[in-house]
Amino acid sequence: MSAPSHRELLAACVWATALVAVATVSDNVLERAVLGLPMVLFIPGHALLRGVGIRTTSLAEHLAYAVGISLAVGIAGGLVLNILGFLTPFGWAIWFWAITLGASLMAVRRHEDANWQPWSRPAGLRRWHGVAFALSILVTTGAYALAVRDESNQQQFKYVELWMLPPANAGPGQLSVGVRSAEAQTQRFNLEVTLNGQSLAIFRSLALAPGETWTRKISVPVLAANQKAEARLYRLEDNSLYRSVSALVPGS
Amino acid sequence: MSLIPAQLTAGGARPFQVWVQTILGAIGPDLRGDNLDARPPPVNLGLIAVLCLAAAAALLLVATGHGAGRRGHETMALLLFWSGVVILILPLSLRIAGPRVARGERFFLLFLLVEALFLYKVLHSPTSFDGHDEFLHWIAADDLMTAHRLFLPNPFLDVGPSYLALEILTTAIVNLTGLSIFAAGTLLLAVLRATFVAALFLLYERLTGSARLAAVGCLVYMGCSTFVLFETMFSYESLGLVLCVLIFAVEATSRTLVGPPRLKAAGLIVLLLAALAVTHHLSAAYAAIYLGAVAFFEVIHRNGPTRTEARFAVFLAMVAVTLPLLWMEIRGTHIGNYLGPVVESGINNLVRKFHGLFSLHHSAAPASSPSPSEPFGIRLITLLAILLTAVGLATGFFRSLALAAEGRTGWLAIREILGRRWRDSRLVLLTLLAFGFPVSIAFRLSGGGWEIGNRMGTLAFFGVGLVIAVSIVHYWQGRAQQGWWFRRAPPLALAIIVLGGVTSSTINPIQGHYKVGADGHSVEPMGIDTALWTKTWLGPGNRFTSDRINRLLLAGYGRQDARLAVFQGVDAGRVFMSKTLEPDEYWALAKGDIEFLLVDLRLSMALPVLGFYFEPWEPRATAPPSAAALLKFNNIKGISRIYDNGYIVIYDVRGLHERS
Repeated sequence: MSAPSHRELLAACVWATALVAVATVSDNVLERAVLGLPMVLFIPGHALLRGVGIRTTSLAEHLAYAVGISLAVGIAGGLVLNILGFLTPFGWAIWFWAITLGASLMAVRRHEDANWQPWSRPAGLRRWHGVAFALSILVTTGAYALAVRDESNQQQFKYVELWMLPPANAGPGQLSVGVRSAEAQTQRFNLEVTLNGQSLAIFRSLALAPGETWTRKISVPVLAANQKAEARLYRLEDNSLYRSVSALVPGS
Repeated sequence: MSLIPAQLTAGGARPFQVWVQTILGAIGPDLRGDNLDARPPPVNLGLIAVLCLAAAAALLLVATGHGAGRRGHETMALLLFWSGVVILILPLSLRIAGPRVARGERFFLLFLLVEALFLYKVLHSPTSFDGHDEFLHWIAADDLMTAHRLFLPNPFLDVGPSYLALEILTTAIVNLTGLSIFAAGTLLLAVLRATFVAALFLLYERLTGSARLAAVGCLVYMGCSTFVLFETMFSYESLGLVLCVLIFAVEATSRTLVGPPRLKAAGLIVLLLAALAVTHHLSAAYAAIYLGAVAFFEVIHRNGPTRTEARFAVFLAMVAVTLPLLWMEIRGTHIGNYLGPVVESGINNLVRKFHGLFSLHHSAAPASSPSPSEPFGIRLITLLAILLTAVGLATGFFRSLALAAEGRTGWLAIREILGRRWRDSRLVLLTLLAFGFPVSIAFRLSGGGWEIGNRMGTLAFFGVGLVIAVSIVHYWQGRAQQGWWFRRAPPLALAIIVLGGVTSSTINPIQGHYKVGADGHSVEPMGIDTALWTKTWLGPGNRFTSDRINRLLLAGYGRQDARLAVFQGVDAGRVFMSKTLEPDEYWALAKGDIEFLLVDLRLSMALPVLGFYFEPWEPRATAPPSAAALLKFNNIKGISRIYDNGYIVIYDVRGLHERS
């Protein structure tokens, strides 16, 4: 009788160890995603199924149970790491590493082979089948890309934002005034800032292209009493009042 | 053998008797399906490849339909979108439900369909979450990523902090991979969808012993109105339901095990039940109901289980009930306060509906909201799907019961069941569970009971799937039925049932222009930009209040502390909707700790699609608020209008706090 094979468990342990290393030192999303996703969604469940010795009758059953157990392990991990104050990338990597390693050791000690039937390549696979599958993936990716493009191009509302922030947000003794255009074309404006009705600053012929932001900080004298600052935006083409905002300048 | 009463079969076949015989023959418990699983043909890879291409083309059409909708071409959007949906569902359903298909092929095609339906949902909002509930969990996940702590309060979902499993798993992926929460959540949901259908297939296959019945049952389940959208949202039920059906599958498998393997299976069930207890309250309740009912049937069962088996079932039921209660006790969660009003209102609505049906005096109907009307064809498909489901239940109910009987056929099998003798309690339970379908429809029709009906449907469809699968395999496609109609019509009916699941999942599945008070359809770039502006220029964590949609955007994109109420007992809606700022509202703003009000003037453009602007419990508006009412804060001393983009205005009310 040949010794049971534990190659996939060894691979799982190597995978978990690599994840600990990558989660600690790498910022590469692709590397981390390739290692991290199977670790959260499958590997600990598979190792535990083997470790505990739960027998499944088909590959589908094994996969479904492994995912379910991995989910439960992840949830338990969240609760445990929260108590330890360790809900960090390194904490997660260590958690999954410990579970995978522990379960794999249990499986090795049990001297039982994997009991599912290995997946075999279906008979009759032709080249055009592969081409059709690849084309399907390509078209689906295209559909997703199209949806992303349409979403980013959607702009039902065209508008211009005007704001004025009081000293509490702009800084002591200062007002922050800003204009941002989300129009389809460049527009020109005059901006007038007043304090208690007295003109404080005027900015003429501000030209704002679509997506452009214009901001200024304006110093204001701090008096004993509260003052009211106002900013009025006039559209140059008809000199009409387009937007108006205000801010409270608190007294000293 | 059919046991039709003798007086009906004897003598001349009078029209009435023929009619009764036909009805009894249709609903009767004869199991006529031939054992096709015993001679499975090889996997047809060519057909699979063609179906993959069809599904991809269908998704492209769906995406194009959304694009047309976004550009305001409604007719074109309808045409493209719905042709995409039909191309996606029809060929796959026809093949999956076909009589001679290999198990592996059915399994693969089910995966293909379920993942394609998931992509169908993703295409609606391909780069961000847009459902109301999705925002709640996204915000909780974002809080968890920021604070690295669990159980942070969630003002939008009181019970949310107690059920953080989805957020835990999502942030685990985010932490390990560096992906965004949206990407991590979407990948997790894709895996959950596949796991759900695999577990459901295994459950049905284990109970019926037939891959064909299992595949048809899974297909029918996709006709549930919650399957396509509600259960694929980034929300706790999407995870809860997967754990739930996994528990059902493992439990069904464990009944044939003995000794240590059974104990190990029990351990696995307990582990999954524990995970479920901290995932979602309602899914935990589903598991408790199911396992409780299995235990009940095992206990009252006459000739089947040994005392050990009954004890095993009772133990699992007790664990299923105890763990969620224990978790609630530990967390101090009062689920009754959360679910109680929904259940009470739903039942009241249903009772009123029935009373209204039989009463001569009809009360005046409340003002209706301008819900977008669905095209006639779409409504027809929904109605047809309900009708076909009802026909399937009628022709499958007794057959499904007969499947559970041991050694007897026909009406004798039903007598066995009535005599508490069956081979599998789960079959009996799931068959009876199908009764929940008509009840859920009644709730859904009662308006206020919609939410109960929706949730009830999720559980009832586990039974509906089984019963209709038995109906199709053992009656409509059974040995006795010959000809095109009986061979081809059932898969077509199944396709319509699945289509019904899509058409009934939401009022308007196609992307389009902004709508007032329409959750996903109210989320658009300008509102998102405004929320992002608050984070950039005011910093995160300011206390805001606004309408339902902008609150979500502020909390999600703006990372603001968005509140539902201005002050204890004074909801935001009251302050925003009143024509003038009344003294008590002024007092609430001055004494409360809200710092900013965000007013969306688009609320004055129309009545809300969902019937409310701020909260579901607000009085139904008969007209939109005037722009003047929304802008009443302009002239209040102490309130500054710090932001204006022509549609959305932000008021700084901190000056009122100083005055008070």
